Amino acid sequence: MTAEAIAARPVPTADWVTIEDLYRNPFPIYRKMRSEAPVHWVPAVNRYMVTSYEACHTVENDQEIFSADETNSLMKRAMGHSMLRKDDPEHDVDRKSYGSVLRPKAIKEHWNAIFQANHEKYLAGLKAAGPGADLIWEYAAPYAAENLRLVMGFHNATQEDMQRWSQTMINGTGNYADDPDVWAASEKSYNEVDDAIDEILPYLRKNPDSSLLSGMTSMPIPLEAIRANMKMTIGGGLNEPRDVLGVAVWALLSHPDQLAQVLADPALYPTVFEESVRWVAPIGMYPRETTRDTVLEGVQLPKGARLGVVVGAANRDPEVFEDPESFNINRPKKPHLAFGGGNHYCAGAWVAKASVSGIALPQLFAELPNLRLDPERPAVDAGWVFRGMTALPVRWDAK
Amino acid sequence: MAKVSFHHNDGNVDVLEVDPGTSLMRAAVTNGVAGIVGECGGQAMCATCHVYVRPEYLDGLPEISEDEEEMLECTADPRDEDRSRLGCQIKAGEGFDEIEVDVPASQI
Ligand code: HEM
Ligand code: FES
Repeated sequence: MTAEAIAARPVPTADWVTIEDLYRNPFPIYRKMRSEAPVHWVPAVNRYMVTSYEACHTVENDQEIFSADETNSLMKRAMGHSMLRKDDPEHDVDRKSYGSVLRPKAIKEHWNAIFQANHEKYLAGLKAAGPGADLIWEYAAPYAAENLRLVMGFHNATQEDMQRWSQTMINGTGNYADDPDVWAASEKSYNEVDDAIDEILPYLRKNPDSSLLSGMTSMPIPLEAIRANMKMTIGGGLNEPRDVLGVAVWALLSHPDQLAQVLADPALYPTVFEESVRWVAPIGMYPRETTRDTVLEGVQLPKGARLGVVVGAANRDPEVFEDPESFNINRPKKPHLAFGGGNHYCAGAWVAKASVSGIALPQLFAELPNLRLDPERPAVDAGWVFRGMTALPVRWDAK
Repeated sequence: MAKVSFHHNDGNVDVLEVDPGTSLMRAAVTNGVAGIVGECGGQAMCATCHVYVRPEYLDGLPEISEDEEEMLECTADPRDEDRSRLGCQIKAGEGFDEIEVDVPASQI
């Protein structure tokens, strides 16, 4: 053992944490954990949960000690071995296969027009459903799903397919209880996605477009990797824009002063986006595994320790963010960790920003006069590994 | 080893000795240099490692790639047509033994 390891303290156990409490509202739990230690062993979660900003940041930036290639990963079973569970140099090969599809230039040249058309389509659907409609299920979910479908190039699927694939495979990645029904639904989607890829690749070879799958046809990348990366992107590129959209609308509608400020200055929507993902990180926790005995922010960790990097907690660390529990678009700008960091930094960050704060948010508030929460049916926020609005009934005035 | 100086707006300077092949971003992040974030770990994806290279060190730096060019249009502080670069795309030993850069006021 190194001198550092001897000086380090053993990892504390947080046996008081339950999944039910985390699901309902993880933030008071994170607050208590962070104030005790940067890392805890949490029996209910069967992981070491890393909750301080500094510790999460260290983990993200050191793939030699903190590997993404987790042993017995449920994600590998549910989606195949994607780039998200690889370290460099293997990770880098897969990541490069995404080319410039998700980068700002392609967004400007191709995707913004498509996001705009999708916004108009689903806004019309929301209006047709009328005041009292649920903004998540009538608008945010289909909007995010249809955007992702076209960015990926699934011309042979529907946005409803995308939503079903995404949710069932995500349920697979979280199926710690080994529920056979969950596996059956997840495997069905797995096979459907493989079939859709097999069908669409020859089409895209003949009719190339700007999509991810079209780009794949000219990349030296094995089909197995394409399949896994596509499944991971279906799982990681749909719920997150949906959820930040929902949280941002909910936050503004519950903070009238800040809403007034934004309505008077639409240039603030990107700030609203950043503060929303800081405040409620759509991906609250993601896994890593230690490749050797190590010390993380003064706490000992054994080799093979399964970590949960809780960026949802890091984003409310009072060491970094003043009054961290409040939603406040006027707080001093500091980098949050909602998109991860280091080599797995979210590949879709620019797409998410363009579709949510470039198009959806400003136009929703412009098109729905006096948009407000439905006084009769409460909005519901829930989740911890993934967190967002599960219900957001809204009302507005006729134009 | 290459010598890298990060000049801050308040007049402070961080001077680092950097191993060949290490990027300015990586050197800054590992040594806790303020004002360089490097969210994407050097993939020219986030534009939070923006630096202004001092004019006398511009010669000999590697060309700006397409990805870097695109990101330089997305920096938080305005791009300087001549001096702006991404810290993650400039590596010690690749075109310089010594370099001085100014750190922008904001990266996000
Ligand atoms: C607000 C919206 C989003 C958030 C908060 C988010 C968050 C994240 C996070 C935290 C990671 C890293 C996970 C880890 O290191 O284990 C990640 C990776 C990734 N995200 Fe996103 N994401 C969002 C939107 C999207 C979208 C729209 C797409 C696709 C169009 C996407 C595609 C990806 C991909 C491909 C990766 C894997 C990158 C790699 O392994 O190198 N994301 N995202
Ligand atoms: S570190 Fe992200 S662009 Fe340089």
